[in-house]
Amino acid sequence: MLACRLIQKDLSSYLDGELPAARAARLEAHLRTCQRCREEMAALEGISDQIRAASRHLQVSRDFDQRVLRAVGYYQVTRAERRRKPLTKPLVVIALILLALLGMIRHFFSRTLALPVRSPAAAVSGLAPAASGAAMPDRDRSQR
Amino acid sequence: MEEALRPRLVSAEKPGDGQALAAASDAELTEACRRGSQAAFRELLSRYRKPALALAYQMLGDAEDAEDAAQEAFVRVFQAIPQFRGQAAFSTWLYRIVTNTCLGRLRRKREKVSLERVSEPRSADSPSQQVTDALMTRQVLSMMSPTLQTVLLLRVEGGLSYREIAETLGLPMGTVRSRLSKARTAFRKLWLELSEMGDG
Repeated sequence: MLACRLIQKDLSSYLDGELPAARAARLEAHLRTCQRCREEMAALEGISDQIRAASRHLQVSRDFDQRVLRAVGYYQVTRAERRRKPLTKPLVVIALILLALLGMIRHFFSRTLALPVRSPAAAVSGLAPAASGAAMPDRDRSQR
Repeated sequence: MEEALRPRLVSAEKPGDGQALAAASDAELTEACRRGSQAAFRELLSRYRKPALALAYQMLGDAEDAEDAAQEAFVRVFQAIPQFRGQAAFSTWLYRIVTNTCLGRLRRKREKVSLERVSEPRSADSPSQQVTDALMTRQVLSMMSPTLQTVLLLRVEGGLSYREIAETLGLPMGTVRSRLSKARTAFRKLWLELSEMGDG
């Protein structure tokens, strides 16, 4: 038991390859005969993998370097970025104009289609002959 | 040797010539940084941004905080590089700065952060075993004392040797050895406790 306790104190250094050779040899000899210490070592061995796995998903953000370089005064806008910037604004403006035009066209057609349909009598009395003819060509033709 | 290096790294300032930088050692890049090479600093940043971020994340437990801390650490590196004389490896020096930056942040909000983490639901939407394990690992680390957590992370996440950890934290090697042993035992104990809580 005392041997186990002493050995277990050295397990961490042994796993890290930082145990002096003589102590490492003694520890290995003990491990060959002690199941409990072998289990203890296996459990400690997994800790490093667990810790590394916890940060494996970590992604460095795209502007990491940029933010550091800006803070130290090393950041310069590249030519490509300079070219990219002026293009963005006009594209947004053009898109907005197109959207506004589309909205106006839609509004215009929705108003035209929503005009109330007049009765034939009202059309005859209220409209000029040319206009009523244009509105109801089939009926005019049959009357003739 | 420095004279031989200079043209190689100076030429790397030209756009598109990254080969010389990629082949340069950390020590060469640090030296070039001290001479004001922007490209050398960019190369160091690209080599160490991920490990620095991982270490900060493990210490702080929050990806956004970790990014801020890692960025702050790189800015500190940049500011301190004229005084860096290569007594330690660049990575050791960087991890020390990341560690100190994170410890400072933790000190400022330790209580709040640990409470939030402990109350984090373990399996809100039945996440996969991997996600559950990662969350539990974060919880366990946050419940450990900062002294034990730091040595464990410098060893596991930073890959530092005992001598480098001792240099980074200004501790004797024997203390690093015993703290690492205690840290692993504490991690295991807390892990088992949390597992039992989750099962029960």
